[in-house]
Amino acid sequence: MLVDFELIKRAQNRDSAAFNEIVLAYRKRILGTIARLIARSEDVEDVAQEVFLRLYFSLDQLRTPEVFEPWLYRLTVNAAFDYLRKQRRRQEFRMSDLSEQQVLMADATAGSKVEHEEQAKKKVRESVDSLLGAVSEADRILLMLKEVEGLSLKELEKIYKVNENALKVRLFRARQRVLKAFGAAGKKEGPG
Amino acid sequence: MSMRGNEDEKLDALFRAYRDACPDPEASANFMPTLWARIDSRQTFLFSFRRMANAFITAAVALSIALGVYMSIPRSNPGTYSETYVEVLAEANPLDTPDIVAPVRLDLNGR
Repeated sequence: MLVDFELIKRAQNRDSAAFNEIVLAYRKRILGTIARLIARSEDVEDVAQEVFLRLYFSLDQLRTPEVFEPWLYRLTVNAAFDYLRKQRRRQEFRMSDLSEQQVLMADATAGSKVEHEEQAKKKVRESVDSLLGAVSEADRILLMLKEVEGLSLKELEKIYKVNENALKVRLFRARQRVLKAFGAAGKKEGPG
Repeated sequence: MSMRGNEDEKLDALFRAYRDACPDPEASANFMPTLWARIDSRQTFLFSFRRMANAFITAAVALSIALGVYMSIPRSNPGTYSETYVEVLAEANPLDTPDIVAPVRLDLNGR
């Protein structure tokens, strides 16, 4: 926990200063999670603000401060999922965002080590985003939380409010699909 | 089997690399002011919505009470339903009334 229970209780009693402190404590982590979940940097702040907005208006429904973090993660997942649902129609545009010109320009200027590293990171991001395209948005978020954010099954159980076995099955199936896509991508790259 | 395990490990490594490639971004200077502006705006909306809902509930309760009072007051024209069902039927169907079967008076001397 990044904040103490007393602060959460104060925020529940509409203490603006306490709520401000909570936002400041979790802001960076939530921004990072959202950035990885939605993979669109320009909308990350907007979605993060939506998360904290929902937190502000639902904080009084939180029964015990002990479950604050899973609660916040659930709000984050829901906000990211809502965003992705809204963006579904614009999915095609995502591909054109990385225009050929941008890639060529980046290649041309990629001389230094830092730029080279940045290119490698970009390639990793694109690979994972493409691989996770093999699963539904809901499973993509679940996989991200487990594999990238490093949440345990117990934590995921609290967030999703489903039993561990159901989560394991869902994670296994999603991972199998990603593995299949991963294998296919490897074969494609192999000969070339 | 080992191939599958190998791919699993590679995928795990790719996820780890993804985590490193996507560090937590810093919030902009406008993050908190924009957040509070959004909270205020939502609060104003909720406040006016609640006020409207309260006004609607009050009006509905007042109307229900008024209707209840109106229905409980006895009618000012008590004669409306004073007749019995049989009387009403008799009035509505005059042919069935007993005057048809009344005794016929014959005046034999007048002939």
